[in-house]
Amino acid sequence: MFHLLGQFPQQDSELGAILQALFSLAFFAYLMYAQRIQGMTMLRQIEVSLRKVKNFRDEGKKIAIKAIKEVGKPEKDPTPQVERFMEHFMIPPINMDPAGVVQKLGKIINVRELTFEREVEKMAPMATKAQQNNLENLLEAGLALNMMYKIVRHYYLMGKKTMNIYVIMQIHMILPQIIQQIEAYSAALQAFRDGIPIGDTVGPIVAAKLLNGAEVREIAKEMAAGEIEYEGRRVIITKAWGPGGSVGKPGDAIQNLLDEENGKVSMLITVDAAGKLEGEGVGEIAEGVGAAIGGPGVEKYKIEKAATDYEVPMYAVAIKQGMEHVVAPLVEELMDATDEAVSSVKGLILDYSVEGDTVIVAGIGNTVGVAQ
Amino acid sequence: MRINAAEGNARPLADGGNQNLVSLVLMVVVGAIALVSLYMGFQEYGENNMETAFMYILIGVSGFAAIGFNFFRAKPIAKQTSGPKSVEVVTTLECPQCNLKRVRAHQVGDYIFKSDEPCTRCDGSMVITRINTRKDPKKKN
Repeated sequence: MFHLLGQFPQQDSELGAILQALFSLAFFAYLMYAQRIQGMTMLRQIEVSLRKVKNFRDEGKKIAIKAIKEVGKPEKDPTPQVERFMEHFMIPPINMDPAGVVQKLGKIINVRELTFEREVEKMAPMATKAQQNNLENLLEAGLALNMMYKIVRHYYLMGKKTMNIYVIMQIHMILPQIIQQIEAYSAALQAFRDGIPIGDTVGPIVAAKLLNGAEVREIAKEMAAGEIEYEGRRVIITKAWGPGGSVGKPGDAIQNLLDEENGKVSMLITVDAAGKLEGEGVGEIAEGVGAAIGGPGVEKYKIEKAATDYEVPMYAVAIKQGMEHVVAPLVEELMDATDEAVSSVKGLILDYSVEGDTVIVAGIGNTVGVAQ
Repeated sequence: MRINAAEGNARPLADGGNQNLVSLVLMVVVGAIALVSLYMGFQEYGENNMETAFMYILIGVSGFAAIGFNFFRAKPIAKQTSGPKSVEVVTTLECPQCNLKRVRAHQVGDYIFKSDEPCTRCDGSMVITRINTRKDPKKKN
């Protein structure tokens, strides 16, 4: 074949000469513009993804507006308020002087939550508290989609303007992860609109299963706590107050519970959803030590501080799931995994405590679609 | 780059058969060249000039392969640009007294541990024990 291709320029027919000229032209064009062609190909791929992101963003906004109109029955059209909400931002505290940065961040997050609550109250005055929580989560998913759309668009337009391969490559390289996140957030729209449990709800489901209808009280903002007895141990269980979409303040709840018990607690178990690595199964259960909790870190800090102050050992149960499951409607494998996680928690209690001990179990995560 | 999804006036999305004008013209040109090459190739083959015939046929086949690839590439683009899809969610209800189990489509207002509807077998009230999507038998972890 190479022998034949080698003969290609030696064709003496007219067509052969034309093809030879075309071949040489294409070769030199590629030599000169290879990077530009590569850049244009990448821009084309980014453009396709950008359109997809735009569809998701627009759809998210439409779903949110429709849900607000249906549930909240506002007097005026909520569209301008939703559009204003979609542009909301949070400036994190300066960390050049790290002392007290967690408290500062906590304060800012509290103000953000309060602002969102007020905005939703104004947009949907007739909605119940649970519905308002779901609408708040729905709007947050829309906000995240809007932010991702803007980031992809920024790099796309920058790349188009400069035709700089390195600017284009920055977004092109992380595009698969961005698309995965966007698909996850778009799946969250259905979940928060209809109040369906999501992947992150596994922690609160485990807590609710352990509570098994026991009486609960509010231990911290949007946090429920109840007690059961298990094999001679007193087990205090806490989770976010459902069934509206809320993560509550588990850090405050654990601090308050430890204060109430004067630190006489033999172990603290946190149950949460955890990111799985490729190859790991959805719904696999893993046991470990430490505080199993994600988010910006404020609640984790509070849990760790409270447990350290009272010298309470921390155990963790993680329910593995992919990025696409975390905010999407709960899949059957994860629902099944909650039963295994309950057994795992019970096993930890039996292994590391004795009769008469007090144990705290915290189901961490968004409690959308789960009561207590 | 022609499309301006970024500026808010996205054109109708490409689907399997709807190529944009430029790529369509390009494909017609490539197709014509490929066809001529194939014709020349078979002519040379008829005259027993095997080496020249092979070269022309190679060019012709490559041209048609490029057109095929372009059509093939258009399909995933159409698939990718669709909006968010709703998944089927089911609610499982169980009667704590007689253990009767019932599965129905999820309704807005359902939540886990909600005492939902009277049991059809006994006087008890059914409780929602599970809310999840249906398992896709084709999908692996």
